[in-house]
Amino acid sequence: MSLSNLPNGLIRIWAFVFKNWIITKRNIFSLFEIAFWPVVGFFSIGLLTTFLELDVNMSGFILTGIISMSVIQVCQIDVAYVLLYDLWSKALKHTFIAPIGSFHLISGSWLIGVMRSFVVFLLLSIFSALAFGFDFLRPGILPLCLFLLGLFLTAALIGVSVCILVLVFGYNAEVAAWSVVSLLYLVCGIYYPVSILPFPLPVIARAIPLTYLLEYFRSFYGFKSVSGNCLGWGFGLIGVYLILEAFLFKIVLHRARRTGTLLRLSE
Amino acid sequence: MAFAIEAEGIFKTFRTGWRGKRRTEALKGIDLRVNAGEIFGILGPNGAGKTTLLSILSTLLLPDRGKVHILGIDALANGARIRERVNISSGNANFLWSLTVKENLHFYGMLYGLVGRQREEKVNALIGLLDLREHQNVLFDRISTGMKQRLSLAKCLLNDPEVLFLDEPTVGLDPNAASRIREEIRSIQKERKMTVLLTTHNMREAETLCGRIAFLKAGEILTAGTAQALKQMVRVGDVVRIEFQGRISEDDILRGDGVINYSISGNLCEIVVDDGEKRLGSLVAVLSQGGAEIRKVTLRQTDLEDVFIEFAKRTDSDMGLRL
Repeated sequence: MSLSNLPNGLIRIWAFVFKNWIITKRNIFSLFEIAFWPVVGFFSIGLLTTFLELDVNMSGFILTGIISMSVIQVCQIDVAYVLLYDLWSKALKHTFIAPIGSFHLISGSWLIGVMRSFVVFLLLSIFSALAFGFDFLRPGILPLCLFLLGLFLTAALIGVSVCILVLVFGYNAEVAAWSVVSLLYLVCGIYYPVSILPFPLPVIARAIPLTYLLEYFRSFYGFKSVSGNCLGWGFGLIGVYLILEAFLFKIVLHRARRTGTLLRLSE
Repeated sequence: MAFAIEAEGIFKTFRTGWRGKRRTEALKGIDLRVNAGEIFGILGPNGAGKTTLLSILSTLLLPDRGKVHILGIDALANGARIRERVNISSGNANFLWSLTVKENLHFYGMLYGLVGRQREEKVNALIGLLDLREHQNVLFDRISTGMKQRLSLAKCLLNDPEVLFLDEPTVGLDPNAASRIREEIRSIQKERKMTVLLTTHNMREAETLCGRIAFLKAGEILTAGTAQALKQMVRVGDVVRIEFQGRISEDDILRGDGVINYSISGNLCEIVVDDGEKRLGSLVAVLSQGGAEIRKVTLRQTDLEDVFIEFAKRTDSDMGLRL
C-alpha cells in the first residue's frame, strides 16, 4: 500500500471494523462472548485456586493463563468472523469482487477484535484484583502492554489460520474458529509449566509464541523463564508466522479463485 | 474498435469428488468481444456455463486456459486493477444478513474506497435511484426478493463501473418486478453509457435489453449477433394461423408469396411464411378470393427461442446427439 493510497487503504480496513461492529452489537451472543464465558471461566479457575489454597504468586500463574486465553479467544474469533459472516450470509463473492487485499480484511477485523478483547482484559483484571488479590499491573505498564500486544498478535495468527482453512474447506472449517484455540490450552502452559509436558509436546510448545509470552509475563511474579530472551522469541516467532500466513493466504485465495470455491460458498 | 471485453479461447473444467477425479467441462474455448458501451447478452439454458463465463470475466474465477482483456488490461494478471473498474450483480442476491440495506451499501462503498460525505451522497443517490428509501433501514434478511435484487443493482453501481456484469438479474422475480428491474437496467445503462454483459435464460429479456446476443450451450457459443440478424440467419419463418369457414385449396396457399410450409386441420390452417408482416395481407386476399371465409388471423413471428432451438438442433446433430 503506497502512501498515496493510504486514505483508500484505511477506509477499506475501517470497512471490516464497521461490519464486525454492527454485527456484534446486533447479536446478543456477542455479549456472551465478551462478558459471560470469559467471566464464568475465570471465576471457575479462580475459585479452584482458592480451594487449593495456592499462594498469591501461584494463583497469579494460573490467572495469567486463563486471562490470556480469554483475550486470545475473543480477539481471534473476530478475525475468523470476517470470512465466517460472509460465508453464513453467502456473500463471500461480493467481498472478493471488491478491490481489497487480505491485509485490509485481516487488519480491520483484528482491530475490532483488539477492542473487544481489551474490554475482556479490563474486566478480568479488575475481577482478579478484587476477588483474588492478583495485581496485573505489578510488572509495570510497558511489560503489560508488550504482553497484551503479543496476545493480540497471537490471536491474529489463529484467526488468519481459521480464514485460510475456511477458504480451503468452506463450511467444514467453521468449527476451527472455536477449536483451534483449544490446542493452546494443552501445550502452551496455560495452567502448568510446559516442562511437565510429555515428549514431544514441549517441542511443539517451543514453536508457539504464546509459550514465551506467558513465561515473560510470569517472570515478573517470581517464575523463572526457561528461554533466555522470551520477548525476542515470542515476537520473532509471531513475525515469522505472520509472514508465512500472508503467503499462505495469498495462495489459498488464488486456489479459491481457480477452483471456484468463492462462487460455491456464495450460493 | 476498442473492445471493453475481449476473451479468447477460455476453457474451464471443474474437478470434484475424491482427488478431483470427476470433471465437468464448463467452458470449451469461448471467444467473445463486447464493444464499449453496448449491452451484450449471453443466452443459454441452466448449466450452459453462463455464470462461469461471467465469473471469469469479472475476475472471481480463473480459467484453465485462455486470455481475458477487460478495458484493454490483461484481467488474469491484473485482477486488482480490474476490480476497481468493474462490478457484478447476481440474481438471488445475498448480502450480509444482519446489516440493513443502507449499512450494506456503506460497507461495500468503503470497500471501494469511498469516504465520508462522498460515500454518504453516493449511497443516498443509489437508494433514491433504485427506490429503496422506504426499506433503507430494514435488515437485509427481512426485505423481499425484488428489494434484494434492487440492492444488488445499487451495490454494483457504487464504484461507477465502466463494465457491469449482470448474472440473471431478474431470476426468481415476479413479472412486474422483473419488468421494473429491466427498465432500471436500461435507463442506468443509457444514462451512464457503461458496458453491460448480461446473462439470462429469458429470451424476451435478452431481446428487449441487449444490442447483441450470444447463445451459449454446454460451454460453447453457438452463434452471436443482433436479435434481428439471428432470426434472419435461421429463417425458420413466421407462422400465420387462420381460422376459416368453407374450403381452402392447397393450390391457393401455394400461390401466396413467401410460403415455406403449411398444414390444414379442420377449420384451422397454419402457413409458414418467410416474413409474416410482409406476406399477411396478400395471403389473406388470395385465400378469400379462393372462396374461404376468413374468421380469425393470428401471426406468430420467429422469436429468439425458435432461433435458439434451431441452433441447438444443428449443434446436436453435428455432434450426433439427440435434442
